[in-house]
Amino acid sequence: MHNDNGIWVSTEDLMQEASFLQSAEKEFSVENIDQTDGKWSTNRRDFLKLLGFGLGAATVAASCEIPVKKAIPYVTKPADIVPGVANYFASSFVNGGDYCAVLVKTREGRPIKIEGNTLSGITAGGTSARAQASVLSLYDNRRIKFAGTIADSEVQKKSWADLDKEIKAKLGAGGNIRIITQTNMSPTAKLALAEFTAKYPNTTVATYDPVSSAALLAANQASFGKFVVPSYHFDKADVIVSFNADFLGTWISPVEYARAYAKNRKIRDAKGMKMSRHYQVESHMSLSGSNADNRILVKPSEQGAAIVALYNALAGTSGGPQLNEKAAAAIKKVAEDLKKASGKSLVVSGSNNVMEQIYVNKINDLLGNINVTVDFSAASNQRQGDERQIFRLIEEMNAGQVAVAIVWNANPAYELPNADKFKEAFAKVGTRISFNTTVDETTAQCNYAAPSHHLLESWGDVEPKAGHYSLVQPTIAPLFETRQAELSLLEWADSQNLNRQDDQPYYQYLVSNWAGDLFQKQSKYSTPAAFWDMSLHDGVFEMPAAESAVTFNAAVSLNPAGVTKPSGTELEISFYETVNIGGGQYAHNPWLQEMPDPVNRTVWGNYLSVPLEWDGVNNIDGWKGFKDGDNVEVEVNGKKLTCTVVRTFGQMPGTVSIALGGGREAGGCGVGYGVNVNTWLPFEGGMLQYFAADVKIKATGTVDKHFASVQHHHTMGVKAMGKEENAVINVDEKSLGYKGFQGSLTDRSIIFQTTLNELPKFAEEMAEFHKETKHLNEQSLYPDYSDYYGTGVKWGMYVDLNACIGCGACQVACVSENNVPVVGKKEVARHHEMTWLRIDRYFYGDFENPGVVYQPMMCQHCDNAPCENVCPVNATNHSMEGLNQMAYNRCIGTRYCANNCPYKVRRFNWLDYTTADTWPSNEERVFWAEGDDKPFYADDLVRMVLNPDVTVRTRGVIEKCSFCIQRIQEGKLTSKKEERAIMDNDVRSACQTACPTGAIVFGNLNNPESEVNQLRNGAGALAYQVLEEINVRPGVKYSAKIRNTNEELLS
Amino acid sequence: MLLKRICWVFILALLATANSHAAPTKEAGKELFIANCASCHNKNMKDNLTGPALGGVEERWSGFPRKDLYSWIRNSQALIATGHPRATELWNKWKPTLMSNFTGLTDEQMESMLLYIDAQYKGGGDVTNGPKVDPAASKKEESSIPWLFVGMAIILGLLAFALMRIIDNLGNVARVQEGEAPIQKNWVTSLTSKGFVAFAVFAITLLFGYKSVDNATRMGREQNYQPTQPVAFSHKIHAGVNKIDCQYCHDSARRSKQSSIPGSSTCMNCHAAIKKGTISGTAEITKIFASIGFDPIAGTYIPNYESWSEKQIEDLYKKWIGQEYMAANTLTALDESGRQTVDNQWDGLVKALKDDTNGKIQGPIEWTRIHNLADHAYFNHSQHVAVGKIECQKCHGPIQEMEEVYQYSTLGMGWCITCHRETEVKFTDNAYYNQYERYHKELNEGKRTKVTVADIGGLECQKCHY
Repeated sequence: MHNDNGIWVSTEDLMQEASFLQSAEKEFSVENIDQTDGKWSTNRRDFLKLLGFGLGAATVAASCEIPVKKAIPYVTKPADIVPGVANYFASSFVNGGDYCAVLVKTREGRPIKIEGNTLSGITAGGTSARAQASVLSLYDNRRIKFAGTIADSEVQKKSWADLDKEIKAKLGAGGNIRIITQTNMSPTAKLALAEFTAKYPNTTVATYDPVSSAALLAANQASFGKFVVPSYHFDKADVIVSFNADFLGTWISPVEYARAYAKNRKIRDAKGMKMSRHYQVESHMSLSGSNADNRILVKPSEQGAAIVALYNALAGTSGGPQLNEKAAAAIKKVAEDLKKASGKSLVVSGSNNVMEQIYVNKINDLLGNINVTVDFSAASNQRQGDERQIFRLIEEMNAGQVAVAIVWNANPAYELPNADKFKEAFAKVGTRISFNTTVDETTAQCNYAAPSHHLLESWGDVEPKAGHYSLVQPTIAPLFETRQAELSLLEWADSQNLNRQDDQPYYQYLVSNWAGDLFQKQSKYSTPAAFWDMSLHDGVFEMPAAESAVTFNAAVSLNPAGVTKPSGTELEISFYETVNIGGGQYAHNPWLQEMPDPVNRTVWGNYLSVPLEWDGVNNIDGWKGFKDGDNVEVEVNGKKLTCTVVRTFGQMPGTVSIALGGGREAGGCGVGYGVNVNTWLPFEGGMLQYFAADVKIKATGTVDKHFASVQHHHTMGVKAMGKEENAVINVDEKSLGYKGFQGSLTDRSIIFQTTLNELPKFAEEMAEFHKETKHLNEQSLYPDYSDYYGTGVKWGMYVDLNACIGCGACQVACVSENNVPVVGKKEVARHHEMTWLRIDRYFYGDFENPGVVYQPMMCQHCDNAPCENVCPVNATNHSMEGLNQMAYNRCIGTRYCANNCPYKVRRFNWLDYTTADTWPSNEERVFWAEGDDKPFYADDLVRMVLNPDVTVRTRGVIEKCSFCIQRIQEGKLTSKKEERAIMDNDVRSACQTACPTGAIVFGNLNNPESEVNQLRNGAGALAYQVLEEINVRPGVKYSAKIRNTNEELLS
Repeated sequence: MLLKRICWVFILALLATANSHAAPTKEAGKELFIANCASCHNKNMKDNLTGPALGGVEERWSGFPRKDLYSWIRNSQALIATGHPRATELWNKWKPTLMSNFTGLTDEQMESMLLYIDAQYKGGGDVTNGPKVDPAASKKEESSIPWLFVGMAIILGLLAFALMRIIDNLGNVARVQEGEAPIQKNWVTSLTSKGFVAFAVFAITLLFGYKSVDNATRMGREQNYQPTQPVAFSHKIHAGVNKIDCQYCHDSARRSKQSSIPGSSTCMNCHAAIKKGTISGTAEITKIFASIGFDPIAGTYIPNYESWSEKQIEDLYKKWIGQEYMAANTLTALDESGRQTVDNQWDGLVKALKDDTNGKIQGPIEWTRIHNLADHAYFNHSQHVAVGKIECQKCHGPIQEMEEVYQYSTLGMGWCITCHRETEVKFTDNAYYNQYERYHKELNEGKRTKVTVADIGGLECQKCHY
């Protein structure tokens, strides 16, 4: 069924379930603080007693003594540190194949925030949620703090010298040495590895990636003779077809791709708008799929058939496996579209089947995309892994052929589907050394720990793409007695090129490497010192790419028998990587765990997405009647696990899906969340397949008590569609206005969307809408304040919903910048998440295959703010610069403001999440990581990540987005000191700088030249304010979502 | 009737309070002295500075009418012009130094200052330096109700009581005339009457309410806080006598939100050469040497000072202190008092530099922080110093005269707000302010004479709280 005008967020919403309406009407969760977990059993009377006592005690305590505070200066003040002023260092976020050029903000020598580096040609200032969160993992008390031997998952301390001696003896014994690692993009690390290998020639390296792209590499080897990932130019493609490649979220280089992709999607000029068209062929709604213009649903096992079908349609051939009818028809239409855009299109696939990838290469070749949108001249190094190497290694280890195994930033004991076999084989290796930073699943199996630094303590370089170099520099002295892995390798190799007298030998090694080979290759700088200094300053150094045209190897035969055959089973399951947790590498980062999955909007764990079923009349329910939070027993290939269900729109009927990365067993605070589904991954031809066809699901009758999905939290506006004749939601509001206007809850103006074809008509409607709302809003008794706001600065924001892909980088950036606390799964389940910026996800269109709009929602800083005039103590009020201010120390916690906020962006500190005071009973409910003896934020090390310019809020106060007031103050001060007008670059909000696509723009509305005004004007009638008709006069404008839908596919 | 009475009593009480403010006090005198006189007259009242020492001023002027002294303070040049003998004598002695005019001072204010001057001169002047507080001890603020208030209150109370009796009697007279029975009231029934009890409850509630709120707002404020510091650093010598610019040492004040305490390395810029202090000799400056590892005998920094044992450090600096003692007293060997000096100075050094958290001599000097702003208040020095171009003394007081620094201002929010209301923005000098077009227009049209900090949002919550 197609829903023509409405948007919805979930089944409950569509079906107008009573529970949904109830929860949507209430700002705050039904489950209140009195409900006990067995731990907290204080009732209201006890509270009053405590309050009385507390007040008395506080008075007595306060009247006695003020603690004496010390002011401790430097002994020798470093020239480049001014206390209170941040320093930025260019560096790189890199973890395996994940890469992002960053600037690290440090205060008094302590990194506190990651920003994008705009000088990078790859990421151009964009960041990912993972990069943003990396600063928190530095301050992780579970990091291994010294070198030593490992017994029972504990590290017994040994001095580095002793350890080196012992290990060197083992290495020198002549047995086979194997290094297990993931993609390594560092030229200097590879040099160090080469020295090690030269010293111990019986060394080989097994590289694999947590989520594999091995087939892509192998196919490129076969098709073009290059075992690399090419550069994909999404910006040069008018038609993009992605076969289950989540290139905006997780596939290879998402930050780079997202930026290029958004270039052709943003609204520049509403009149002559042009857009690329994006088809996504998949079964599970991925981040890319949710942004696509058309999604074509195929079962995971039909991916191969779909690729062959497209090839057939383009090449005029026939044959190959059978595809479902609907998809087959759609693919034909896609082929027509592609043909029209020959040389200006791009086909990618996330498949891990070599033949399928060869087909994709051939398709691009047929379309003339090779060397245009598929470019091998600056090939990417971001995927180098091949899991066949590690499978071979398991056999070797089993055969007792390996004497020493070194684990370097890899976690095969968790990541491999045959982890049990790996562990068994690994135990047969005599010496097992781990460079990993925590005692994770694999390190626990090792007998030596040689922990490496955290990235922010390390020196290094990265070559993410050929000719693009990026440096990693330390921004803090090592917190613990760790040593960089590269240095350990060089030390064990007795390297002659290492200056052991220097206090940073690896730094010297890195500098001399750059002064050598790399310096020779470039021509921009005349001395090695200038080359190094400037590159370090910029963080990146880019060389013009060597032209390298490739041709498709004619000898490669395309064999439809090589692709996956559709299983024909009733139910299939697919496994996918999430934006935040990846393949599990990021599971121990609480910021990422608490960032909702963009589509499911679940947190803290991985959940089984089941499709929805529509009975054809008016009932929509989960497949088999499952509800969100139901626990089910899933059996895949004979292995059973209990998963929690989340009903997901856009999940193809007959398929289910679940994310990778859950069920970590060791190494950090992610332990105990979700299930480890790696054991279900089948491998075919030695390559991991991210789907399985043999699935059985059984209800268990139990539910996940703390099922945490933020979907129904902070809902703005309830719709009554379909059944609206019977269901009167709110008589007053309904009777107030006609459809769409003035508070009618039936169709509030939250999201506007249209297709490119209908844009001219839609623009007229929007103009009419604005006229109408303007008229309504002008009927006011209150005086006009435009003169008041017209002088000085007036802050405002613009969010282009066409550029917003929902990746969540802004959300994590906001958490990092504004000291937003992590509350933990139980608290999220109680609607208590504290995020100042949430990304709302709305569906529209076809129930079975809906379109998606992401809407970053933060405080709108209304000039006529409903929250301000209900505060009894005037704790929230308006500034002349248009900011809705929040004074925490004035707030008494009535929560009237949150109740009255139409956007539901105010958050209440139900508990002492940041452990600002020391009442033990306050600490019980806040987030404790598994096995910790104190709450997460009570750890002094964790508190080092706090931004000293932002107050840490305590229990009982409301907080919300401040438009990054600390940045505004800083920017204003800078321009005042320089005695000049304030400019766009002086103040950029944290969400704005984090965004990889530039969807969020912040600036001065009183300056007609400012970027925010330019964009707002450029969008014309397409720019709207959410709930424009209720006259709250928000400072944020959004653009309508426009889709370049191929209408032929919808019929 | 009763209500009216209560009102009257209340108004009378209020008036009494208002009047009593004008009575001269030593405390008021101190404030006035600091605000008006302290930049020229030494506050010990015994030594001359730019102007003469003021101790004993009343005796010196005792041969003339009190109002002559008043007019001298208000406008000295005018008095000189009249040929007043004392004025002429002073002028001949001190010319061409001019004394500023203080035409705004009232007689009471001048009396207050004279009280203070006298108290300072005669040694009762602990008010000047603020209470000497040991850092470890409590910092509770003292608040004393002046006896004057109590006396006035008693008198007014009696007056009110008498008036009530008169009113009652007059009422009875009226009743008798109208043929009603007079109501006999003794003082007990009067005091237990509904009206009086209501009034008493009202007054007590008001008083307690006022005191609670007043004390609550003052909670955590530490005006005049003057802890003893590990190093007896004298701002008077550095900023006053030697006129070193504040920002030479507190260099981050113009660049950062914090005006940091300088590191030992900054001290060494001068003290590598100036190895002995004017007041303390080797006692204090050696602490800096010991903190950073400077060998004053050789005149070099000590390599690997971090790894030195306490014994090594002790030997070096004791030798230095002893050597200087001998040089000063032209001795060839240490005498008993010399050994005492060496030991005392060494003990002082250890006490200053070594504490529980830092178990060794090496390392930073841990100063006691005097100015503590509440954690939820954001204050930026550079905004005030670099942009507002405000003198440090405006908030920190006459630092150049402080032997030991004390907290001069309350640092309370009301104090901030008052200044933001009054301070004029240097509006036309800075291109940043061009964006305030409306204000510029109003200034040009003469509708507005000035733009204060408050006008450009200086009173908004999120200027300081976020």
